[in-house]
Amino acid sequence: MKTIKGIKISSGVVSGPIFNFERGKLTVPKHFIREADFDSELERFNTAIRKSKDELTQVRDLVHNHLDEDHAKIIEAQLLAVQDEEMITAVRELMVREKKNVTWAYFEVMDDYEKLLLKTFSQFFKERTADLKDIKKRVIYHLSHEKDIIQPEIIKPSIIVAEKMSPSDLMHIDHKLTLGIITRYGGVDSHAGILARAFRVPYISNINRIQEIVSYSEIILDADNETILLDITDDIKASYESRIQDFRRHRDNIISDKVANSTKDGVPYHIYLNAGFVDEVKAMDPALIQGIGLFRTEFLCIERNSIPDENVQFQAYKAVLEKMNDLPVVFRVYDFGRDKLLAMLDLEILQEDHVFDEWGGIGFLLDNPEILKAQLRAILRASAYGNTRIMLPLVMFVEEVVRTKEILETIKSELKREGLAFAENIELGAMIETSSVLEELDELAKYVDFFSIGTNDLALYLLGSGRMTDLTKNYYHPKMFRAIDKIIKAGNKAGIPVDVCGEMASDPYALIGLTAIGIRFISVSSSALAAISDEVSKIDVQQCGKLVNSILNADSAFTIYSHLKKFYHEQLE
Amino acid sequence: MVRKEIKILNKYGLHTRPATALVTLVSKFKSDVFLEYNGVKVNAKSILGLLVLAVEPGANLIVEANGVDEQEAVDNLDRLAQQKFNLE
Repeated sequence: MKTIKGIKISSGVVSGPIFNFERGKLTVPKHFIREADFDSELERFNTAIRKSKDELTQVRDLVHNHLDEDHAKIIEAQLLAVQDEEMITAVRELMVREKKNVTWAYFEVMDDYEKLLLKTFSQFFKERTADLKDIKKRVIYHLSHEKDIIQPEIIKPSIIVAEKMSPSDLMHIDHKLTLGIITRYGGVDSHAGILARAFRVPYISNINRIQEIVSYSEIILDADNETILLDITDDIKASYESRIQDFRRHRDNIISDKVANSTKDGVPYHIYLNAGFVDEVKAMDPALIQGIGLFRTEFLCIERNSIPDENVQFQAYKAVLEKMNDLPVVFRVYDFGRDKLLAMLDLEILQEDHVFDEWGGIGFLLDNPEILKAQLRAILRASAYGNTRIMLPLVMFVEEVVRTKEILETIKSELKREGLAFAENIELGAMIETSSVLEELDELAKYVDFFSIGTNDLALYLLGSGRMTDLTKNYYHPKMFRAIDKIIKAGNKAGIPVDVCGEMASDPYALIGLTAIGIRFISVSSSALAAISDEVSKIDVQQCGKLVNSILNADSAFTIYSHLKKFYHEQLE
Repeated sequence: MVRKEIKILNKYGLHTRPATALVTLVSKFKSDVFLEYNGVKVNAKSILGLLVLAVEPGANLIVEANGVDEQEAVDNLDRLAQQKFNLE
């Protein structure tokens, strides 16, 4: 038997056949049409072109204002290409001549251009096929939307093996048939990783021997032990069977009991859910959970590779609120760091780009008020249908919150004039995840109703490590605990709640440390919900409070890790 | 009809950015504008057509324009090519 080691991105253990996923390979619905259908097919095509054009215009402006001129020009070229008259004529002619449906005709015409580019003698021109792939994907998405779903054709449940997986790749594959994921590139905190955990798909990355794996018909993916088993015998399979079954039950069953609302010694505790997709929320039973502590709205954009308009957003937020039956839902306004903007746009041409300076969060939105206003309007309109809260990501300065509140007030008077309903008293929270705002907590607390700690970005700011590397060890760093302690104290002083919505709260050892220093409110992803709920119900706050001094005065992450691990195994197991 | 030979001076030939500038310019004119390179003639308002021509650095192209503003279109395009499409 052969084994390959990798890095765990999402836990679980599965066995199954391999699906070799190739980026940009689209399955196109091919069928012949009748002459009577020409007009409606062309109409569909024109609409898809127009939508793609609108999106690319928006993308070009964003890239122009926030990335650089060079990339904006490349997108300008895509914008010209997407509405290229010669191409459109060729598609129309092919459709009429051979009676192929318009998606098929479009795909063939674009394929011809791609082949011609590949035939050129210059590497420089060959590489431009990346642009054509981006355009093709965008237009075909609009052609297929709600009609035929286009995705790599996975026929039977398989483990997906790929060089890399973008968030939108993951969005567009059939989750029911995705047993697990193996990639060469991708980190714990990558956005595809967050998605894989949300969908409870076991995922291992950092595998260099992708090609070798592809040659096996069946493998075992043991993400829990960061191992891939090739060449499996019946004996080995049998020895894994019970773990595989357990995981399957866990995967199908999001949560079976009510989430714990207090610790072992009866201290009240809130455990909310992190979510990013309307479908993910719809799969939840509101009777079992307490609320959604973080709804990542930018995932709506990843689904579409563009920013949806106010109405599309309104429908999505409304659906979430209605499903939640008056349980609180915290909508975090778009958090576009440069990395997330790239993830959202998911353009081949922008993939392997340099590391960008930090920016994003509410600062980015205030620089792009039209995006912020449309989103706030959508959230406010949806607030008529449930218990709505708004959260601002990556707050750096108090000023940003003040300006957002002014915009909110303007929108409220607009909505009143238009006769549209909304909830008057919506709580507004600030995410505490930058070092600069740590110096302004008392002032900030005067303007917001709650603090929410984003541990992933906070770790980046305090400890400075890349988003694609393993962050888990940072969760035990003394600087993290001291910063969180400072935030809790500022919150207590101002009388506003403080929660942790970052991944740190899903780490069983780190959770003990957080509880020890006073956290009573966390929000975790659905894959962690059951385990974390179980852990909270076993924690004795009295006992774990004794760890405070050794955590806050520790000299290293290892010291804290050792204390927390010891406590966990002595008290909770 | 107006025909004129122009030279592509850009380092990588008529790649994405100069092609974008070219299409943007000629699209402003009412005339039909064509480019001929290595015996292949394409619509100069079609970026996809221009890209697959894969015009190499230093290449000579024939511009052909037909319409009310044909002379202006050709002259402007010639000037833009000489200015390396305002790039580099």
